Amino acid sequence: MAGPFVLILIVAGAYLAAHWAFEWLGTRYLLVSGAEYLVLGILLGPQVTGVLQVSILDAFAPFMILAIGWIGASVGSAFYIPRVVRGYGPIYRVAFAEATLALVVTAVFLVGALAWLYQLPLADTVAPATALGAIATASSPAGVAMLRRRLVRRGLVVRQIELATAIDAFVAIVAFSLLMCIDHGAPATGRRAPTPTEWAVISVAIGCVGGSLFHLFVGNEREIDRLFISIAGAVILVSGAAAYLRVSPLLPTMLLGAILANTRRNRSEIRQALGRVERPFYFVLLVFAGAAWDPGTIAWWIVPALVFAIVRAVAKLGAARLAALVNGLTESLGGRWGRALLGQGGLAIAIALNYQLFHGTALLADVVFSAAIVSVVLTDLSSARFVQSVVGRFTEPVLDAQTPTGPASALEAERK
Amino acid sequence: MRRFVILALLYVGVQLMLPLGEQGHGSEALVTFGFLILAAYTVGELTVRLGLPKIVGYLFAGMAFGPSSLSAVSATAIGRLAPVSDLAIALIAFLAGAELRWRDLRVSGSKLVRMLGCELLLSLLGIAGLLVALHRWIPFLADAPAAKSAAFIVLFSTIAIAHSPSVTVALLSETGARGTVAKSTLGIVLLSDVAVVVLFTVSQTLARTIAPPAGAATLPSPGLVVWEIAGALLVGGAIGLIVALYLRLVHRELMLFTMLVTLFGAAIAQATHVEILLTLMTAGFVAENVSHSERSEAMRSALERSAAPVFVVFFALAGAQIAIREVMSALPIVLPIAIVRALGIWLGIGIGARWTRAEAVEQRYVWMGLVSQAGVAIGLVTLVSSLYPEAGASMRTLLLSLIAVNQIAGPVLFRRALVRSGEVDVTAAPDVVSRPAPAVSLDSTG
Repeated sequence: MAGPFVLILIVAGAYLAAHWAFEWLGTRYLLVSGAEYLVLGILLGPQVTGVLQVSILDAFAPFMILAIGWIGASVGSAFYIPRVVRGYGPIYRVAFAEATLALVVTAVFLVGALAWLYQLPLADTVAPATALGAIATASSPAGVAMLRRRLVRRGLVVRQIELATAIDAFVAIVAFSLLMCIDHGAPATGRRAPTPTEWAVISVAIGCVGGSLFHLFVGNEREIDRLFISIAGAVILVSGAAAYLRVSPLLPTMLLGAILANTRRNRSEIRQALGRVERPFYFVLLVFAGAAWDPGTIAWWIVPALVFAIVRAVAKLGAARLAALVNGLTESLGGRWGRALLGQGGLAIAIALNYQLFHGTALLADVVFSAAIVSVVLTDLSSARFVQSVVGRFTEPVLDAQTPTGPASALEAERK
Repeated sequence: MRRFVILALLYVGVQLMLPLGEQGHGSEALVTFGFLILAAYTVGELTVRLGLPKIVGYLFAGMAFGPSSLSAVSATAIGRLAPVSDLAIALIAFLAGAELRWRDLRVSGSKLVRMLGCELLLSLLGIAGLLVALHRWIPFLADAPAAKSAAFIVLFSTIAIAHSPSVTVALLSETGARGTVAKSTLGIVLLSDVAVVVLFTVSQTLARTIAPPAGAATLPSPGLVVWEIAGALLVGGAIGLIVALYLRLVHRELMLFTMLVTLFGAAIAQATHVEILLTLMTAGFVAENVSHSERSEAMRSALERSAAPVFVVFFALAGAQIAIREVMSALPIVLPIAIVRALGIWLGIGIGARWTRAEAVEQRYVWMGLVSQAGVAIGLVTLVSSLYPEAGASMRTLLLSLIAVNQIAGPVLFRRALVRSGEVDVTAAPDVVSRPAPAVSLDSTG
């Protein structure tokens, strides 16, 4: 009986503490809430207290897959093509260049670093290094979202940061999903296993066919409760289908979210329906990711984890600076605008957990998961501070913490 | 029609996909779960157009795509989704408790208790009498010695008189009905949950005494029985106070918080060996009545928002668990029992209403809201079949068939009662889906 009680007490206490403490800290010191749930998960998991046993984690695996899929759908629903078309071209080029450079630099460096650290052939470290590259590309949008309400006006830097976090998510999801297709552990069914290209086509097809069918299914429904049921069913079905075929649920659900958001007039209602349980799923994902963390049998996991955090920071800063330079926006954005992209959150954890769930027994899978967790713990809390160091210092006036930040002031900020 | 075509395409797509992949991390359960939600939603919308409650549509969808018919949802997947069903039951119980107000209970509590007493007594006697009359054709009674037959009849009748808080809450949420019939039905159903648990414990003790089960099963001590009920009130009260404290001090993330409360409330009840539904109902009741009205209103609104998808899931899964063939084969015995049960409820409520001088609409229509059966009864059936494994199997089939019949007929009758009593606007009902509504007042003048 002690186990469940400890679990309840810890969860209830941590939940309340996290809310009080982070509400207070977030308002005063610009700390983003999230990483504390990850730490809570680690404390509850088999590595520390063992309150959340492996069997419980296994029972909750469908929820983890669903949470991963839900994050994909939320990312996808943010891509509204008419707005993209109207956007200022160079900032898209900068965002894509930054994301691609960060992915390639981190992956290439880590292929060598992991091979050297663990005395492995280079070919063996390509898959985990690419997974880490995809994780490194993801940036947390929470920091800029927190600051956005406080800004008097949204200038080019803020738009660039918002766009870069969205493009980072897109590139990270596509890169990771392709990796899962290439490094696919096909089931031994006796027949010919699909090729990586076929898996990639299947992965895209699940999202596109699902998106098209659910476009018709959802219709012009505007009642949020009913819309929520349709969308929940769609995301669950698409996530489950992807997981069943052992491809990442992130890409199909991202496509599903994007198709629904772009082809229906009830786009804002769809976003609302997706947003309704986004936070609960996010917290569930963080707690279970923390609990599922296992440093594994490989010693010195902290070394590659720290190497990853450092390489990622350097790659992000360098890629952002280079992308701005090549596109002639250094003067407008500043040389250090990449700082705003250093924070990592839910998507990084979703990718790492996805890799752990599907490739848990693969070589260095534990290292990939540990590196992602360390990176999120180190950077998530300070996401808003990173963004402020760019927008506050360079072009955007930031109001002090005492200024009211209700919807009215946000509206005024939009107007200006 | 468009949605049915898409559903058919999805069904074909899922069937084509299944040979390509492999089970792992419950992914098959997710696929079938997603499909079931969409199917239930689609059939639910159709049944509303036919003038039937949505939950009947959810049940039909579960039956149609469940393991006993099209097998789009496998029995393994249903087993994997058991935590979702448990969470749904817990959430429904919490919501049911939050719908009641103390001041109204004080006013009409005695009336409801008397109506419930008459109804339970007459239903119990009616069913027991019918079982005695039909005992030759009932498998678990036919060859049993007299003592065992008596024990089984008592157990069967006690389970058969149970009502369904989940169906009642779901239908009130769907229709938005808040009139006298709605209030009285909800009050009686919630009180009956306590009464049935007490009655079942007494009949279980009686059955064990006159027909001791095989093995070394021991009788539950009276202290344990008292604790199951009183402990539920205590534990539920404590959880309710914590919720009220949270509403007062934090008042954020209410949807997530209520989900956590129901999840951990059920875990606490299980760990402390108290009745789970009663615990959560008490928690909801205390939270609603201790908190400031604005805060509790926000909590109920959050609960109702999360309730709509929960109802879809819960009833679709319940439908998927109905073994159609077993129900059909048991129908010749089950139908008379269901009719006698309904007559007992009708007669009991009629007598109770006249005794307490209840309103005319209560006399006429409240019984129709009491026909449904679901979660509580299924839980008790499981207990009996584990206590008497041999006879329990056939008793289980018969009781589950009875529950299935009442589960489908009950919501249709309850909706008809609400429409006839004028508490549901038939033209507006199809668009009403779990909208936040004020707490149910049990005061007949309210």
